[in-house]
Amino acid sequence: MREAAIETQLLSKEYGNGRGCRDVTITVGKGEAFGFLGPNGAGKSTFVKMLVGLIAPSSGQASIFGHRIGSMEANACIGYLPELYRCQEWLTGLEVLQLHARLCRMDKTAAQRRIPELLEEVGLGQRGKDRVKHYSKGMQQRLGLACALINKPQVVFLDEPSSALDPVGRAEVRSILERLKAKGVTIFLNSHLLGDVEALCDRMALLNDGVILRHGTAAELLSKRSTWLFKVGGCSPFLLSWLNEQTGFQLHETVNQEAASPEDESVVWLEAELDNEEQAGWLNFLIIEQGMILYEATRKKERLEGWFMDAVSGLSHRGEKE
Amino acid sequence: MRIIAGMTWKELLRKKVMLLTLLLTVVFLLAFWFVAQTIGKNDVFDGNGMISFSTMIARFTNGAFILMLGFFFGSFVIAFLAIFSSFSAVSGEAEQGIMQAMLPRPLPRWKWYFGRWLGYVSLGVIYAGVLFASILLITRYHAAIPQNPAALLRAFLLFVSTVPLLVSLAMLGSGIFSALGNGVLMTMLYGAGWLGGMLDKLSGSLRLEPDGLVMLHNLTGLISMAMPADSLQRRMTTELLSIKELSGIVDITSGSFSMLSGGTGPSDTFIIYAIGYTLVALLIGLYRFQRRDL
Repeated sequence: MREAAIETQLLSKEYGNGRGCRDVTITVGKGEAFGFLGPNGAGKSTFVKMLVGLIAPSSGQASIFGHRIGSMEANACIGYLPELYRCQEWLTGLEVLQLHARLCRMDKTAAQRRIPELLEEVGLGQRGKDRVKHYSKGMQQRLGLACALINKPQVVFLDEPSSALDPVGRAEVRSILERLKAKGVTIFLNSHLLGDVEALCDRMALLNDGVILRHGTAAELLSKRSTWLFKVGGCSPFLLSWLNEQTGFQLHETVNQEAASPEDESVVWLEAELDNEEQAGWLNFLIIEQGMILYEATRKKERLEGWFMDAVSGLSHRGEKE
Repeated sequence: MRIIAGMTWKELLRKKVMLLTLLLTVVFLLAFWFVAQTIGKNDVFDGNGMISFSTMIARFTNGAFILMLGFFFGSFVIAFLAIFSSFSAVSGEAEQGIMQAMLPRPLPRWKWYFGRWLGYVSLGVIYAGVLFASILLITRYHAAIPQNPAALLRAFLLFVSTVPLLVSLAMLGSGIFSALGNGVLMTMLYGAGWLGGMLDKLSGSLRLEPDGLVMLHNLTGLISMAMPADSLQRRMTTELLSIKELSGIVDITSGSFSMLSGGTGPSDTFIIYAIGYTLVALLIGLYRFQRRDL
């Protein structure tokens, strides 16, 4: 069991309008990348703001590497990129980083070495001496990422880090995050870009109306909906009905979006939700036994986006099925 | 705290707040120079070029009038500089999202708040000092000014005391109201204080019934309690002009002086109240900021 970087116990924040977070308990291990998902207004940003000390919890406890959230010790080991990062636009990018380095009590020599490296890393190497008011939103977001990383934090909290970035910027941010992860930095990622979360995060949680609905690794979350596809020749409605009777699987004809349509009209794609590979093997056996031709049997790769849409569809803002 | 105060200085300089203030101050001082020159020409010399007693009185009278005219404007300038530099200190940065990137650093909130306060106050006090000295020097050149160092020091301290008072109050307000709302509120509050001061000055010449006069005094007293800045400025002119050299020679409560001068000015107790008011505003602002969700 690796050391806990972030630990929360029944952490709650109540607002007058009932929104916020309720009894959120999570543990993020050191060096782990944790994705925090949820629809707009679910309470993701509120939760992160509590962890970085911007919002005082109404109840519950939380710590970062054993230090109480909001304490100087906890803040010394974190980096935070707020959603839609804004900074003192009358400073240059270089000066903003110098300011953050001083606030982190960094050694002046170390800061002088680190700042140009960081500016280069986030793609602002040539614009460091420009005033921030001349930066685009995307450039400000990159600067925000550099600020979050100035003190070589052990934990970085990123609230929609790619929100203002173009596709190139997004790819660069993803690459930076992958490098951070490889270095053992703990990453807490709030993002709507589910592809990024799926690619980067070891574990993730789904929040709705301030309550965690599900959490686990991507594999754990996605395996709950294991869909299989079978490319079958010589199938008829009678045979399909017989297979369903024998197995109870609700096998049905479908269109495979990821493959070309079969040229032979007697060849079809069949789809079924199965619990495990044994069931798939049994179905393969029955198809062949009935004289049909099995060209292909494959587990449909579920994207996190599909899972997310399924998970939040039909939920009210109270996190309950409507 | 030093880092935040330095950042505040840089902000006021980079945003050209100080540059514009200084440029307009130069314009004011030029105008003031010519006004002072015009008033100062009233000096009367006797035939052999010696300064007579009556000339000396005239020079002090002119000097007193020029000083009051200068500080009447000067008090407005430093008040508005203090208010408009700090009225969005908390709410403005919170609304823009700037604070959200700064405060998760290992920086106690009280240091951020005091740092900002110190930055605004120090720059305001330096500016007020320059303005104070400029008004005195110009007046001295064209007329005469009181030269009691203790009186000058007391007057200077009272003149600059409105800076911490207004900055503390503006920062407290910015932790409660939006930047725009706080700016309007502070301006109106300062305006009310100024109006209360004017009513107090004019009350003697309004020929009111005794009951009405009492009510007016109570009203202006309450206004002064709510916004002591104008009363401090009135006490400043009283301190500056009520020294031995002018005592009994120039009546600053009558004629054209009455609109500009402080009249009798508030008591020492009121000065203590104003200091307490400043400290309480600062501490309540800090207390609220410590607990504010961002």
